[in-house]
Amino acid sequence: MSPANTIRLSILRSAPLDKWIALSSDESRIIAVGNNFQEAADNSDASGEPDPVILKTPSSWAVISV
Amino acid sequence: MLVPYKVLPDQYGSFIYSATLGVNLALPQPNAPRTKRFEAIIDSGASRCLFHASIATYLGLDLKSGVMENCNGIGGQQKTWIHDVTLYIPGGTVVIKAGFTETLPVARLLGMNGFFEHFSITFDPAKLECELKRAFRN
Repeated sequence: MSPANTIRLSILRSAPLDKWIALSSDESRIIAVGNNFQEAADNSDASGEPDPVILKTPSSWAVISV
Repeated sequence: MLVPYKVLPDQYGSFIYSATLGVNLALPQPNAPRTKRFEAIIDSGASRCLFHASIATYLGLDLKSGVMENCNGIGGQQKTWIHDVTLYIPGGTVVIKAGFTETLPVARLLGMNGFFEHFSITFDPAKLECELKRAFRN
């Protein structure tokens, strides 16, 4: 696994479930958490991160098929 | 553009690879402010692009003012509401009809209509990457 994915996996495993999270631009840190996209975006603004990337974590890390 | 696969945890302490892309959305009006970048799964099994309703709220859309469309998935049928939005993707923006739903377990899916139609896409499981070549119709 690439170093970036190793870090990402560790971060996601530690992330709260069923939340919206913002990662730093290099995707090495969780910089904000929210109950919805707006909260995650607002909280990432407060962190000062210039180019975060937002994800939604599922209620459990089951495989995705919708 | 090469998009390295990213990992997602699974429920057994292992992981799966997923082809994901950072994208932005905006209302379709010119110069409308865009969302922050968010991660979307490149999903050829999705008929159209689907996004979580939370993003519609962020954009200021009245979710249920859109055309309601039932969406069949492996988990059953769910209601989506269709809205025109601008999708920021490699090679430039496109205005698409996207579905928004309150029950999507992840934030968003990039599907056949609205995303795949704009690219030649090669999934390379050996290199763990996806190649996107923008296709412009005449």
